Amino acid sequence: MSTVSTPTQIAPTPGYHPSRIDGLREQHGRLAWLLVLTGLVVLAAGCFLSWSYDPEILGNLSISFNPGSLQLFMLTAAVLALVYALAYRGPLRGLGVWIDSAKALMVLGIGALGFMAITLAVVAVTSSGLINIDPGGWVSLVGSLVLAVGGSLLERRPTKDTLHAQLPAWVEIGTIVVLMAMLLFGAAYALGQTDGNIFGLFLVFVVAVAWSLFAAGFFTWLGIVAQRHRRVLMLGAFAVAFLFPFTQNGSDANMSIATQVLIFAATALGLNIVVGLAGLLDLGYIAFLGAGAYTAATLSTSAFATIGWKPPFLVVVLLGAIVAATLGLIIGTPTLRVSGDYLAIVTLAFGEIFRLTMSNLDGNNGPDLTHGPNGIPAIPDLQIGSFNFGDEHTILGFSLGRFANYYFVLLVLALVIITVFSRLNNSRIGRGWVAIREDEKAAEAMGVNVFGLKLFAFASGAFLAGMAGTVKAHQDVSVTPDQYVFLESAFLLAAVVLGGMGTVAGVFIGATILKLLPEKLRFISDYRLLIFGVLLVLMMRVRPEGIIASQRRQLEFHEEDEALAERIEEVHLEEEAQT
Amino acid sequence: MLFLQQLINGLTSGSLYALIAVGYTVVYGIVQLINFAHGEVFMIGAFGSLAVWTIFFQGQTSILILIPMLLGAVAASVGVAVLMERFAYRPLRHAPRLAPLITAIGVSVSLQEIVRLFYPGAKSPLPYPQIDYVSGTALQLGDITLRRSAIFTVGALVVSAVFLWWFINRTKLGRGMQAVSQDPDTARLMGINVDRVIVVAFALGALLAGIAGVAQGLQTNSISQIMGFTAGLKAFTAAVLGGIGNVAGAVVGGLVLGVAESLATQFIPGAFGGTPWKDVWAFVLLIVVLVFRPQGLLGARVVDRA
Repeated sequence: MSTVSTPTQIAPTPGYHPSRIDGLREQHGRLAWLLVLTGLVVLAAGCFLSWSYDPEILGNLSISFNPGSLQLFMLTAAVLALVYALAYRGPLRGLGVWIDSAKALMVLGIGALGFMAITLAVVAVTSSGLINIDPGGWVSLVGSLVLAVGGSLLERRPTKDTLHAQLPAWVEIGTIVVLMAMLLFGAAYALGQTDGNIFGLFLVFVVAVAWSLFAAGFFTWLGIVAQRHRRVLMLGAFAVAFLFPFTQNGSDANMSIATQVLIFAATALGLNIVVGLAGLLDLGYIAFLGAGAYTAATLSTSAFATIGWKPPFLVVVLLGAIVAATLGLIIGTPTLRVSGDYLAIVTLAFGEIFRLTMSNLDGNNGPDLTHGPNGIPAIPDLQIGSFNFGDEHTILGFSLGRFANYYFVLLVLALVIITVFSRLNNSRIGRGWVAIREDEKAAEAMGVNVFGLKLFAFASGAFLAGMAGTVKAHQDVSVTPDQYVFLESAFLLAAVVLGGMGTVAGVFIGATILKLLPEKLRFISDYRLLIFGVLLVLMMRVRPEGIIASQRRQLEFHEEDEALAERIEEVHLEEEAQT
Repeated sequence: MLFLQQLINGLTSGSLYALIAVGYTVVYGIVQLINFAHGEVFMIGAFGSLAVWTIFFQGQTSILILIPMLLGAVAASVGVAVLMERFAYRPLRHAPRLAPLITAIGVSVSLQEIVRLFYPGAKSPLPYPQIDYVSGTALQLGDITLRRSAIFTVGALVVSAVFLWWFINRTKLGRGMQAVSQDPDTARLMGINVDRVIVVAFALGALLAGIAGVAQGLQTNSISQIMGFTAGLKAFTAAVLGGIGNVAGAVVGGLVLGVAESLATQFIPGAFGGTPWKDVWAFVLLIVVLVFRPQGLLGARVVDRA
């Protein structure tokens, strides 16, 4: 790396290469800052004017001095830009030494520009051309352009590591609480949007803001704070998840998506034990969910159920989990002899065998257990005591529909799975898994019971998936073999990989992205699989460790990155010092 | 008689598996990568040949058309395989094991979807053209029915196997492939262009997969974008059965798998025999082989890379 000639200059951050734009940045530092201020003021001013002639498009954007929702987004962006700008030069300098405000402003500016461009394009396309765009839209577009240019011309300054930031605990906890509240209302708002365009633009806005916060280094700090206040974070996340159904006013449309996300996430968490912790690639994992679902279906009171015994649901949950875990043990046995790619193929073959068997056991080809390809329909709703899950209930004036009931059950289940997962992760067993994943032979030499732990990983992962499956059977009303195809296993694996292997939050984010987006973006529904495939390929090239990676994993994918290794060690020492 | 008939059926489907299996085994032998998307390369080959027929020879049935169709199939599948290697796998060559495997799944899904969405009419299975002499009424030899497409498939395998043997043992590139599969670093020191050898390995596998795509189309008279998944999985089974990395093993493995499958269909008594269970027995065979003889029937080098 070449260092810069002027002696007064601080050495640039590692991995930072000076280029021609840096010369520009040095010459026009002050001008760029003024450009940023101008840009954000113009952007904000445009938001108070009308953007579109037609009030029917994208909510109502046509009334001056009464901003519509999209205009409020851009106002928020302008306020955030103001904070960055004042942190760069002005009263918030104290904040400025910690955050890379120049980069954040550039990202935010580009994001706002993209947002405005898409908005205006949507207005022009859905109405009859550019004529329907009112001056306010153009003003905001120019403002965001100026902001983007100004932001990219700002001189980059080295920042202090947020690891050493000392803030009062209440500020840190307050930040977590505020973020959680924003998450709740953001999710409720996004799900309430029936207009795919507004939903898409909201997504653009959220990504732009999140990316700029990421560029500013906010998430690095947040990660450290989250480590410090893990309990608060867990509690907050659970509270948000618990309160979510109350924001839906008894509407089942979104709750149905939410329950699907939870089932998917719970299963993916089980898979995360196998793949993320123990490093055993399982490509047939959906079979365990299916085993649970089929157990519940055959033991249910459905007229099509094939087994006469009707035990209470809690027994069914346990049985489903045990059946799945038994299958997990069976599929785990070959791990004694095969590993790596071969194991992936064995699990894939096993998943196919499960699906084919379920679709064959129809009475003609073997005993009639599953009614073959038709599956078992008309599974009744759960009934625990006098509480029927199909009915609508009213709590404190909020009405909660059928899916909300299942949502709460699944939430409890997810909580159980998270507890099991994190307990295992931080135990002797979890460390054993990590050791096996890193180097099986070394682990064995150190006295780790390799085969036992591998079997246990399969069995426990399958057990959790089986539990989720029993609820899924009742929630879905019917169980058919084509719900458990290889593609579903690939989706589960993608959720784990996309979100970040070995972390709980990552898996939930991955599951939400993979289940929610196709539901909301109906207009791309035909292309969703294609997008999914391309996304997997790109993800492996750009960020193979996933969105929220555990740091150890991150290091595995970037072995040559010395700075990252040092940083992880530093974080680790910091944590040691605090406990 | 029944046994002989099933043997012929088995050899037919086995030849198809063998043609595809070569692609898995050649690539694995050189870069230790399970190219999951190889089944899709086979599928693309079938669509390539159909495209040639639809564009240039719509409505014709002459046997001579088979040549441009084969060329179209091979061009399509080799093109896709080379692009795939260049843009999806090459950047990941030194990444951890999981990354290429997940990329392969991504590539596989993408290719299926590209065909489904952008090939005209591919949202439902497309009929495959009838060609004189290689499709149509089956030949009767006493009690045994011999389908014309079966003769084509087995013939294609024989020709391909001879070509493959010649290519690997008698050409400079082929010997380069052997060298790289034994020791990539030393091969590079000896002046072998490893990147080119890897591309050639992908292309070679795709060549045979393209031919298999035509054979499959002639056998089933219809093709669809999902035909690559099961065929690919079976072919992988065949490659493992013969010993992955071993080209002769892939051919033997394919034939053994095909025969085992059709014999199981015929001779496993009771409810668990018959066509619905055919794939199950093939996969059971895969698991059994992987567990008890992971080096395969012909015993290639044992690859234990986690």
